[in-house]
Amino acid sequence: MTLTAFLLAGLLLFTLGLTTVLSRRNQIAILVGIELMMSAASLNFLAFNRFVAPDPAVGQIVALVIIGLAAAEVSIFLSILMVVYRAHHGITVEEIRELKG
Amino acid sequence: MNPTAITVATTFAPFLAFAVALLFFMKRPVLAKAIVLLGGLVSVVGSLMLLAGGPREPVRFLWFASGDVALRFGFLYDGLSLSFGAVVAVITFCIQVYSIGYMAHDPAKTRFFAMLGLFGWAMLGFVYSVDLLQAFIFWELVGLASFFLIGFWYEKPSAAAAAKKAFIMTRVGDVGLFIGILIILNSVGIFDIPALLDPETGLRAALSPGMLTIVMLLIFVGIMGKSAQFPLHTWLPDAMEGPTPVSALLHSATMVAAGVYLFARLNPLFMASETTLLTVLYISTFTAILSSTVAMVERDIKKVLAYSSISQLGFMLMALAAGGFFAGVFHLITHALFKALLFLCAGSYIHHLETNDMEEIGRRGGRKMRWTTVGLVIGGGALAGIPPLAGFFSKEEIFAALSHRGILIFQAGAFAAAFLTAYYTFRMIFLILLPARTEEPAHAHGHGNDSPLPMLAPIMLLTLAAAGVGFGGGWLARLLDVEREHHAITSMLPAIGIVLAGVALAWWDFGRRAATRTGFITAVKPLHTLFTNKWYVDAFYANVVARLTDMLAGLLQTVENKGFDDSFDGAARGVVETGSFTAKLQSGWVQSYAAVAIAMMSILGIYLGLR
Repeated sequence: MTLTAFLLAGLLLFTLGLTTVLSRRNQIAILVGIELMMSAASLNFLAFNRFVAPDPAVGQIVALVIIGLAAAEVSIFLSILMVVYRAHHGITVEEIRELKG
Repeated sequence: MNPTAITVATTFAPFLAFAVALLFFMKRPVLAKAIVLLGGLVSVVGSLMLLAGGPREPVRFLWFASGDVALRFGFLYDGLSLSFGAVVAVITFCIQVYSIGYMAHDPAKTRFFAMLGLFGWAMLGFVYSVDLLQAFIFWELVGLASFFLIGFWYEKPSAAAAAKKAFIMTRVGDVGLFIGILIILNSVGIFDIPALLDPETGLRAALSPGMLTIVMLLIFVGIMGKSAQFPLHTWLPDAMEGPTPVSALLHSATMVAAGVYLFARLNPLFMASETTLLTVLYISTFTAILSSTVAMVERDIKKVLAYSSISQLGFMLMALAAGGFFAGVFHLITHALFKALLFLCAGSYIHHLETNDMEEIGRRGGRKMRWTTVGLVIGGGALAGIPPLAGFFSKEEIFAALSHRGILIFQAGAFAAAFLTAYYTFRMIFLILLPARTEEPAHAHGHGNDSPLPMLAPIMLLTLAAAGVGFGGGWLARLLDVEREHHAITSMLPAIGIVLAGVALAWWDFGRRAATRTGFITAVKPLHTLFTNKWYVDAFYANVVARLTDMLAGLLQTVENKGFDDSFDGAARGVVETGSFTAKLQSGWVQSYAAVAIAMMSILGIYLGLR
C-alpha cells in the first residue's frame, strides 16, 4: 500500500461527499455528505502521518479531534433541523428560501 | 473722581436700566420708567462731568489677544467725543422725560422705556469708543435698538415693515463698512482709532493711496446707510412709523448722527483720499437737494421733518468732505438739538390734536398750544438758519468751508438746499400758525390748551438750547482744538439773503391772506409729480431691485430644485435600483451559495498552487 492509494481513496470520499452536499435536497443527506468530507480529511491526515511525518502521534490526534468535532457538529445540525422542521414542516432545502432577494 | 469710572457709569447706566427694567419690572411700568430715567440722569451727569474735565489721554483695556491682533476696548476723550457724548446724553434724557407724557397711555410702556435705555447705551458706547471694532459693535447695537423702537408698534404691519426696512437698508451699508474694517485688519492689524489716524505709523502709511481710497469708500458706504444718504436714504422717512419720541431720538443725536460722527472721527483719513471726498461731496449735495425738494411737498409733519433730517445730514457730510471739520461737527450738534426740539413739538401736536397732517394741525388750532408753538418757531428758525438761532451759525460755517473748497457746483447746491430748507420749514410753520380757517378742536386730547408738563419741559429746555447754542461755536472750536476764523458780517450776507428769500417765498405761497397754499412747485407739473413721488427711489426699489431679487431667487430656486435636489434624488434612486438588481443574485438556495464558495476556493487554491 502506498501513500497515493490512501490519497486517492480520500479524494474519492471527498468528491462523493461534495457531490452529496451540492446535489441532495434532503438536509439529512447533506449532513451525511459533510460527514463523508470530514472522513476524507481524517483519512488524509492519517495517511500523511503514516508515510511522511516522523512523529507518529500528531496525525492521530488530529483525526481524533475531527471525530469529536464531527460529533458536536452533528448534534448541533440535528437540533437546528428539529427547529426548522417545526417551522416549515419539512427539511428539504427548497422549503427554506426566506433569504431570496 | 476717576474718569474711567465716570465713563463706565455714563455708558452702562442706561444698559443697566434697560436690563433691570426688562427683567424685573415688566409688570411695574412706574418702576421701569423711574429706573430708566435714573439711568438717563446718571448718563447726563457723567457726560457733563467728563466734558467739564476736558480732553485727556484715552484709556484702553485688553479684551483679548490672538497672535499679533489685540482687541482693546476703551474710551476716547477728545473734544469730539466729549461734546457729542454730552449732547447725546442730554437729548436722550429729554426724550425719556418727554415719553412719560407721550407714552402715558401705551400698554407696553416698560418695553418702550427699556429700549430707550438700550439705545442710550449703544449710542454713548459708540461715541466714546477708542477702537474701531468696538465702535462697529456699538454701531450695530444702535441699529438693533432703532429696529426695536421703529417697530415698537409691531402689531401694525406698516411699522413692522418700516423696522425691517431700516434694519436691512442700514445693513447694506454695514456690509461695506465691515469689509473696510476687515481690510484694515488685514493690512495694519490694529483697530485703535488714534493709532490709525497717526500720519507716520497709521493707515495712511500702511496703505497705498489707491487702497486707502477703497477702504474709505467702503467705510463711507456704511455711513451712507446709517446717515441716510442717497441711495440708501429711503428707510428714514419710513422710520416715522415709530412713536414720535423715537423719531426725535433717531433723527437728532443717535442713529443717523452715528454716520456723521464716524466720518468726523476718521476725518484725517478721509482727508487723505481726494476721490472719496469728491464722491462724498457729490452724494451729499445731491441728497441734500433731493430730500429738500421732497420735504417741500409732503403734508405729514413728521415726513417733512424726516426729509429735512436727510438734507441736514447731507449738509454735515458736505461740510466734512469739504474740509470743514469744525463746521460739520458744529452743525451735527446744533442740528441734534433743534431737530430733537422740532420732533418733540410735532409729537406734542400729534398727541394733542391726533393728526399728522400739517393743514389739519393748523385747522384744529395748533397755534393755541403756546409753548409747543414757540418751540416749533424757534426750532424751525434754527433749522432754516435765521440769525441768531443755532442753525444760522453752523450753516454759516458750512458755507465758509465750501467756499474754501471752491468748487462752484457744491456751493450752488448748498445754497439751493439752504433756500429750500428755509422754504419748506416756513411752509410748515405758516401752515400750522396761519391756517386758512379754524375749527374748534372737537376731540382735543386730555385737558388744557397744551400738552402735559413732562412733554413741555423738554420742549422748553431744547427751545433755549436751539436759540442759544449757536453762540457756543468759539468754545466748541477750542474744545475741538481747531482754528476758527472770524467771519465778517458781509460774508454772511448771501447766506442770510438766501434764507430770507426762502422765507419770503414761503410767506407768499402759504402765509399771506390771499395765498393759494399749494406751493409754487405745483405750477411745474413734472417736477411736482417727481417730488411727490419722492423721486421714484422707493418705486425703483420696489419695481426694479425687488423684482431683480425675485428673479434671482427664482433662478436659484430652479437651480436648487432641478439641479441639486434632482441630482441627489437621482443618486439615491441609482443606489436603490442597483441594490434591488443585485438582490436578485440572492436565490436563497443554500446549495448555490455552497457551490459558489467552493468554486471560489478552488480557484484560489489553483492560483496559490500555481504561483
